[in-house]
Amino acid sequence: VKAFTYDDLRTSEREVIEISLPGSVDLVVIARFTAATVGARAGFDLDEIDDLRLAVDELSVSFGPLDGDTCLRYEFIRDAGSVSVRCTREPAPSEEAPTSGGQRDEAVQTERNLEYWEHARELSAVLLDELVDSHGREISDGRSVAWLTKHRLTGEG
Amino acid sequence: MQFQILWGGYARCVSGGTHPTNSEAAPTRPTAAVSLTLPILDVSGELDLAVAPWLRDQLDALFVGGATSLVVDMSSVTFLDSTALGVLVGALNQCRERGGQVHLVLTEPQVLRVLRITGLAEAFTLHQSRDELKGGRMEP
Repeated sequence: VKAFTYDDLRTSEREVIEISLPGSVDLVVIARFTAATVGARAGFDLDEIDDLRLAVDELSVSFGPLDGDTCLRYEFIRDAGSVSVRCTREPAPSEEAPTSGGQRDEAVQTERNLEYWEHARELSAVLLDELVDSHGREISDGRSVAWLTKHRLTGEG
Repeated sequence: MQFQILWGGYARCVSGGTHPTNSEAAPTRPTAAVSLTLPILDVSGELDLAVAPWLRDQLDALFVGGATSLVVDMSSVTFLDSTALGVLVGALNQCRERGGQVHLVLTEPQVLRVLRITGLAEAFTLHQSRDELKGGRMEP
């Protein structure tokens, strides 16, 4: 797990935090935790923070099954009263390539569950429509990117 | 069938007398659920994509045991995402095919919000507590 805060991009109104996680469903909780922290720093109220946590989780779901051959890189951008998140699915660095049987088993398990993942992605899209102001998917530099933006609706934080 | 397994979200499953008993997973503590005739899956914590496959396994075990309706006690669940919800929908579909229903015990507003956003709050039979279940509002 790697995390960066770009000091040259950090002001009282704006900061960029980046975390990179191995492609494991067990680690998405770290992205949710980061989302909650960034949301709090943007002045979101508790309901908005809960929504942002769920939305970031759903970004991860939108990629379908995760395995040890990939990693997810999240970029959290707090800009005044809004938070934008870009999640990029990219190949795992070679030194982090799967070597254990457990990771291979996880991949087999997720392949068996493709149908269920497809159903989850449909629900995920419905949730994202409601939870955030805008979201989408795109290909950037040959990599799949899911993104969202959520604005604070309540008073000044 | 009674068993208890710990996880990021954890679950304890307790069924009534209409389903087989798994002697290798003996009950570790009594609960109010034992007085009900429907199998109860008692889950806690955050139900996310890490827990969803395990949740499905637990529900599948209930169906293998002959369940047609079941209760998922989510009163201690604090987070529900689309993957776990998808598992619950799968269970609901199986119950309906057997003429049954899935009863959810919910107290966390954020969890209820997920059901409402996805339009599934009406699909399940919702309860605010196990006491409500015992009060006769549960139909097998």
